[in-house]
Amino acid sequence: MTETKTKELVIIGGGPGGYAAAFRAADLGLQVTLIDPEVNPGGVCLYRGCIPSKALLHVAKTKEEAQKAAAWGLEFDPPKIDLVKTAKWKDGVVKKLIEGLGQLTKARDINYIQGKAKFTGGKELEVTQKDKKTKTITFKNAIIATGSSVKTLPRIDVDHDKVWDSTDALSLKKVPRKMLVIGGGYIGLELGSVFAALESKVSVAEMTAGFLPNTDRDLVKVFENNHPFEKLYLNTKVEKLKINKSDVSVTLKGKDEEQTKKFDVVLVAVGRKPNTQNLGLGNVGISSNENGFIDVNPQRKTPNDHIYAIGDITGGPMLAHKASHEGRVAAEAIAGKKGAGYDPKAIPAIVFTNPELAWCGLSEKEAKEKNKAIKVAKFPWSASGRALAIGENSGFTKLIIDSKTETILGGSAAGKGAGSLIPEIALAIEMGSTASDISLTIHPHPTLSETIMESAEHILGGATHLSKQL
Amino acid sequence: MVSTLKTLIRELTKLTIMAKEIKIPEISEGVDTATVAEILVSEGDQIEKDQAVLSVETDKATAEVPASAGGTIKETKVSEGQEVKVGDVVIILDGEDNDDSEDSEDKKESRDKNQEAQSDKEEDNDHPKKEKAKKDAKEKSAEKEDDTENKKDTANQDSSSKEVYASPGVRRLARELDIKLENVHGSGESGRITENDLREHQEGNSDQSFSKLEQLPDFSKWGATERKKLNSIKKATAKNVTASWQTIPHVFQFAEADISNIEDYIEKHQDEIKEAGGKLTVTGILTRIVALALNQFPKFNASIDMENDEMILKKYVNINIAVATDKGLLVPVIKDADQKSMKDLSLEISEIAKKAREQELSKEEMEGGNFSISNLGGIGGTNFTPIIYHPQVAILGISQATTKAVHIEGEFQARSILPLSLSYDHRLIDGADGAEFINWIVKALEDPYEALLH
Repeated sequence: MTETKTKELVIIGGGPGGYAAAFRAADLGLQVTLIDPEVNPGGVCLYRGCIPSKALLHVAKTKEEAQKAAAWGLEFDPPKIDLVKTAKWKDGVVKKLIEGLGQLTKARDINYIQGKAKFTGGKELEVTQKDKKTKTITFKNAIIATGSSVKTLPRIDVDHDKVWDSTDALSLKKVPRKMLVIGGGYIGLELGSVFAALESKVSVAEMTAGFLPNTDRDLVKVFENNHPFEKLYLNTKVEKLKINKSDVSVTLKGKDEEQTKKFDVVLVAVGRKPNTQNLGLGNVGISSNENGFIDVNPQRKTPNDHIYAIGDITGGPMLAHKASHEGRVAAEAIAGKKGAGYDPKAIPAIVFTNPELAWCGLSEKEAKEKNKAIKVAKFPWSASGRALAIGENSGFTKLIIDSKTETILGGSAAGKGAGSLIPEIALAIEMGSTASDISLTIHPHPTLSETIMESAEHILGGATHLSKQL
Repeated sequence: MVSTLKTLIRELTKLTIMAKEIKIPEISEGVDTATVAEILVSEGDQIEKDQAVLSVETDKATAEVPASAGGTIKETKVSEGQEVKVGDVVIILDGEDNDDSEDSEDKKESRDKNQEAQSDKEEDNDHPKKEKAKKDAKEKSAEKEDDTENKKDTANQDSSSKEVYASPGVRRLARELDIKLENVHGSGESGRITENDLREHQEGNSDQSFSKLEQLPDFSKWGATERKKLNSIKKATAKNVTASWQTIPHVFQFAEADISNIEDYIEKHQDEIKEAGGKLTVTGILTRIVALALNQFPKFNASIDMENDEMILKKYVNINIAVATDKGLLVPVIKDADQKSMKDLSLEISEIAKKAREQELSKEEMEGGNFSISNLGGIGGTNFTPIIYHPQVAILGISQATTKAVHIEGEFQARSILPLSLSYDHRLIDGADGAEFINWIVKALEDPYEALLH
């Protein structure tokens, strides 16, 4: 069946990129069609990613806090975890959000099609609906927002029973007694933390020398000093994985030795790959590069003048907020807004472990690689009244500035609630603010935000709560 | 004009052109605009790399633009007399055409409509249609250049060439206004660019500051008129003298010098100088005398710094000589004029004047002057009031010498009298200083030995 009327804008994929684009385009007066396999928009982020994992991490953090509270004179009985109830609560959070998105979609008169789309050529798409029926849609402009999916490892079969991917972990079917997380990236650390809190004995195997490769080592160290894991296998490759009747044998090859350990469940969390296969890109003159990403210009336009691409498939960090921003840019470009352009100076990233690790902008390592002269201030939270009053003293806040112009180039924080400090630094970077601008802005006391102000003061020569020599 | 119309038609039928482009290179330091004087090649020509394709004229010199690559010329994107900026695409060489399918004709149309609407707003409606076509074509080429640059941006997003500090909102506005932030002067701390900076940049670019001042009537009401583009020298002069006149409180001092003896001197030594390839002139002699005067009166060899309430005394004596050329006024500099002999000065002045007339002056030969001399004596007139060449503080004008009856020792004698006028900056130089300075020059002309005493 072919729909006769040409759609003004068709968006493939209803994740945070796709629905942000759809909503923006609709608000700008375009007729929008949004295609996604799920019943409501939301994508991996809402169904199987950011949101459910944050709900579970909140449970984990609350439990840890309750245990720590004994030191503050507040003692609880050891907590009991009702897995079914926790899962239900988490699912409730997700449901509320996706249904909300469904309502917002309807309210904007967006034509929502549940199905999968594929370019067939020219300006045509074939949509396979949930009922397996197909129909052909013609469009004037299209945005590809198909996101990413979990990466798999060769030789390792995810059976979703004893060998899990992140989706299996988030479904919270059971709490294994002994668990191995393959991959020390943010997904592995977050989900590993959840199961550690649920009283699994969690070990982590990481190919490189530490958690979160490419992340500021100072930040990682704060987590490494406080991690909830049973055992770490660093510089370790998973050589073999054998699924037994009641457990999994894993052969771990470290630098010098090879050992085989048994775990009840192995969680594979080795990253994500862009979903650019099976979209019929070749039929519309678009090709993905060797890593599967699609090249786009600042308006997020592909080499095909009528097709845009946003989010995880365009390269750069695979983050929901980056995708949403790109989605709005693409929608505005299609609506003819000349000012639309993707030119971020800072994309914030947060690892929601306990303690949290968060950063944005230029890192010290990148500055070095670019031969950029910088000054760095690191403000220890042990000098922050608020940090101590919430039982946190291992964290820090770091600011990186251009040593010539004193503009803020980057920043990071580690510790409880560190993520909430990053937006201010991101805004400062985007605005071209200087260290003086931050130090001259009154920050509320007592809050962790003062650590940003004091970092700026420190760079400029004298923070209130640090001695100058530090 | 036909070629630009062709260009336009081609633009409308094609989507993407993957071809080599020749752009206006960096002409000389500090110069970012030029006028196309001549197009040296035509469409279809086979050219080689480094072959001259255009000659452009700046406020300083004429330069040839070499081809950055070889190939067949597909399009010339400029016409003679058009102003171009560094980086503008002027010629497109043949490459692979990538004709896309139908393209969204409607989108393109609407874009064209937008542009028409825009140009209608900017121009008066009685502009001929051709003008508009040219304008559209120009805007289109700008658009295309943007696209290719954008692609380049994605390719190496991380290699930031020049740090530009501007908020996201300002960055978006810059895209809306087609302004490259790299070209905008930021008024904020560390050169941060504000929305206001963008607006000012835009106004400066469209010369609105001028048009506001000069609301011209429609002269064609009273008879036929013709419009001609000002060349870059004229434009620069207009800008500079306006700024000087608005900034400097001018005072004018006149004097007359009896140069009868000088004329004898010139006659006596002319052959010697001519043999060396120069010419002994009143300008040359006055350059020598002014150089000595500037040593005597350091304030005339100074600049005034109002921001810091200071005067800047220069310990070198560089003198500008105004040279009239058929393109306009140029003012090359004689460096260290006080260190040079009469003969050397005469040779240098002859040479630099020739260079000026042939548009061959380098940037260095026009920079660093402290005081100017303008001689209109060859043409005529009894006196004139030259405008000071900012940031200098004085200029000496020379008019035509005439024979006058002068009462000397009880009788009238026929003497050759040279009218001099001195314009000086009253912020730095007082009336008495001015009179003393010009008196010294008169004395040196009339009786050099007397002048040497003081």
